[in-house]
Amino acid sequence: MNVIGKRIRKVDGFELVTGRAKFAGDYKFPGMVYGAVKRAGVPAGRITSIDVAAARNTPGVIDVLTAKDIPGPNLIGVLPPYDQPLLAENEIRYAGESVVLIIAETAEIARSAASSVSVSIEPYDPILSVEDALAPDARKIHESGNITLSKKLIKGEVKSAFEKADVIVEGVYETSFQDHAYLEPETVCAVPGRRITLYASCQSPFHIRGHVAANLNMPASSVQVVQAVTGGSFGGKDDVAAEIGSLACIAAQRLNRPVMIAHERKESIIGSNLRHAARIDCKTGALNDGTIIAREITVMLDGGAYASESPFVTMKTLIHAAGPYNIENVEVESTAVFTNKTYCGAFRGFGVPQVTFASESQIDELADKLGMDRLEIRRINGLKAGDANATGQVYQQSVGLQETIEVIAAQPALPDRIDVARYLHGTGYACVAQGISNGAEGIDVTGASVQMSQDGSVLVGIGLTELGQGSRTVWAQIVAEVLGVDIENISVRLVDTDSVHDSGPTVASRSTTVGGMAVQKAANEVKKSLVSMAALMMQTDEENIELRDGYAILKMDDAARIPISSVATAAYWTGFPLMNLAFSKAPEANFDDDTHQGDIYIAYNYGTHRMDVQVDTTTGEVKVLNHFAAHDVGRVINPLGLEGQVEGASLIGFGMAHMERIKYADGIIQNANFADYALPSIKDRIPTKSIAVEDHNPTGPFGAKGAGEPPVAAAAAVFANAISDAVGFRFTRLPITREDILDAIQQRGNHG
Amino acid sequence: MIRFKCNGKAVQLEAEPEARVIDVLRDGLGLTGTKEGCGRGECGACTILLDGKPVNSCLLLAGKIADREITTIEGIASEDGALHPIQEAFLDKGAVQCGFCTPGMVLSTKALLDENETPELEEIEEALSGNLCRCTGYGKIVEAVREAGQRLMHESDQQGDA
Repeated sequence: MNVIGKRIRKVDGFELVTGRAKFAGDYKFPGMVYGAVKRAGVPAGRITSIDVAAARNTPGVIDVLTAKDIPGPNLIGVLPPYDQPLLAENEIRYAGESVVLIIAETAEIARSAASSVSVSIEPYDPILSVEDALAPDARKIHESGNITLSKKLIKGEVKSAFEKADVIVEGVYETSFQDHAYLEPETVCAVPGRRITLYASCQSPFHIRGHVAANLNMPASSVQVVQAVTGGSFGGKDDVAAEIGSLACIAAQRLNRPVMIAHERKESIIGSNLRHAARIDCKTGALNDGTIIAREITVMLDGGAYASESPFVTMKTLIHAAGPYNIENVEVESTAVFTNKTYCGAFRGFGVPQVTFASESQIDELADKLGMDRLEIRRINGLKAGDANATGQVYQQSVGLQETIEVIAAQPALPDRIDVARYLHGTGYACVAQGISNGAEGIDVTGASVQMSQDGSVLVGIGLTELGQGSRTVWAQIVAEVLGVDIENISVRLVDTDSVHDSGPTVASRSTTVGGMAVQKAANEVKKSLVSMAALMMQTDEENIELRDGYAILKMDDAARIPISSVATAAYWTGFPLMNLAFSKAPEANFDDDTHQGDIYIAYNYGTHRMDVQVDTTTGEVKVLNHFAAHDVGRVINPLGLEGQVEGASLIGFGMAHMERIKYADGIIQNANFADYALPSIKDRIPTKSIAVEDHNPTGPFGAKGAGEPPVAAAAAVFANAISDAVGFRFTRLPITREDILDAIQQRGNHG
Repeated sequence: MIRFKCNGKAVQLEAEPEARVIDVLRDGLGLTGTKEGCGRGECGACTILLDGKPVNSCLLLAGKIADREITTIEGIASEDGALHPIQEAFLDKGAVQCGFCTPGMVLSTKALLDENETPELEEIEEALSGNLCRCTGYGKIVEAVREAGQRLMHESDQQGDA
């Protein structure tokens, strides 16, 4: 391998370090105007009247739109029937709900006019907890009721299995809402015309195109969505981009002027999806030898006001709740519930961090009760090739969990673990598995094109988006490897719905695996043309030709070589195709809808983390001394990119576990800014050391598997386990903040 | 009319003294490399150098920059397009993911390394504590700052030798 496995720097990095990259907010068009919305400000109620007179009379205001001005159905969402209005018409379901759109000559005027709008709302008693939403006499937030989706996974027979268990542990675990906090707030820019163009900071342009077109009441073919360089997404720039993208396009068409809508930070927090808060009831039964024979888990997700990705997050928690273990009897019930809070949806990890925290906490509790080593119990129960996981799916290959455990076990121990009065030390372990591909969430197809020019340079097109995770570099490496050209000669197109193929959503850690397979396939087809041409030119058989270092080379005589550019030129004039559009379709999930037994994902990423912490008992302050993060990624395509994914995802997991909490009071978010919402800064970083385990995955390019999400779950869980090890008691709610630790230590001190 | 020096060149343009400098740069001069992440001085994405010192341009008013010198991300690379050693180090060490915080990070790093090419870890942390990044986990940014310092030191050594 010449390029696969090498530390290749980002192929799109030059623009980013020089300030030349065009993010959505950097676009400028003549006559451009700006949009801002008036939000409800109360969590639940019915709109009785809207007074926009003051806004209309504000100098510089050009247009004022309410629900009745939306040409289409005024709905967006992830799954039909869509439930989320662009502008609320009657019902208010959360405080951040948009009600009126103001278009003005400047963003400042639009904002100030929006604040002058008076929306009269007859308030309802807001439903602010899952319990209230599920009360028998609860007001229905949506016509369909307050349950978004409820599903069961049933493997074996837990009831009788628990009767056979020597040891049973039970607990309830909770997690809080988390904000994506990408540094670039959501921004879109719409340019009107016979066909309208939307430049958007977004994650899934084809999904947005559908919603924009529907709400414009135009065919999808009249809408072009171009992904601007996107300043982070982590699952977050999908629904909200569809919302403001549709609004901007509708206003642009009405006014025949370009319209930009850029969220302020506060709007980014209150008006776009969050990570679900969860309550997880978990019960685990084991034999005295440590074999886990039964797990029974109930997951309740607070999904906020709209469905968004809640149904899929529900499925994901269902499938992952029992953890990466070989357990004969498993029963899980997952339910997502509507409340009058900011809607929840996709966020890196997609439900797996919540359930992994619960599961891994309980594995430790079980080990303690059995008097067993905490890593040993994971070894005993951890999945191996040939085992059936919670859905009964058996993988004969690429189940590298045990190797990640061994790699972690082999890391050096803390040098001196000396607990003095003030400082307590602890070590935690956590295992994770995370499914790769859409799996139970839908059919997984990716289209990708590879196109060589006569000069030997290559253009790659794919409908999956670069969001900072380095996917473009991975795809370029795959093409460079297949075609033997320098990575400098490869460009990856911006995602423009006019010029690349729909590749499905950029989710589920699928870009490297499913996307990479399509890219590899297309590159292989172009390679065929080049090899055929080179064989003709060298008057030899095709199997004697290899493409390497920018040349077609005769295998038996390294000196006999023709530059690829010459081969490409000859191929062009001979009529050999130098472009190919290939599709990669993952095997479809095949499972029973009542029990969720069956084959779901094309692969899993497996991981084991270890974290060593020091807790200052006088302040509650935690110092992370070591963090080892081992993941089975099948094959490393780019170590530099992989480390970046593992380190970055780990800090998001750490934030979830230790620092970040969306604070509500009466349905209103109280900390919608970076001063009050504690985002990890450079001083809070953890010393994550990424360790790659490579257990070849037959369903990925060169054996690779995605890695973007799984470290979030493991890092969150391992923090909780390390803290518990240090202080000697368990915290069952995330985040475990410094204040929580101090309070708990002081309370125990007082009572002890 | 406000006159100041921007990326080495004298600039004069119409701007209200109470206009935010980030708007003057982005809208007035088309220097969109300076990013707005929060508008409240809490994220550092809009960091620029004012007389060599890092400041949040979203909190800085145009009246304050008269006759002073501003450096933005567009002024970091050489005129011929060659990247500055800090920019090279950020790419080589994988310190850039989505890139939205990168201009601010690079400028805060420049201010630090202009003073001291071999900063202690605590000094790096202090210098970059106002620049948030959600993608990288910061480890690679710390590596990049150190690497850049080494390269700059090497460069000045070579110039010294010549």
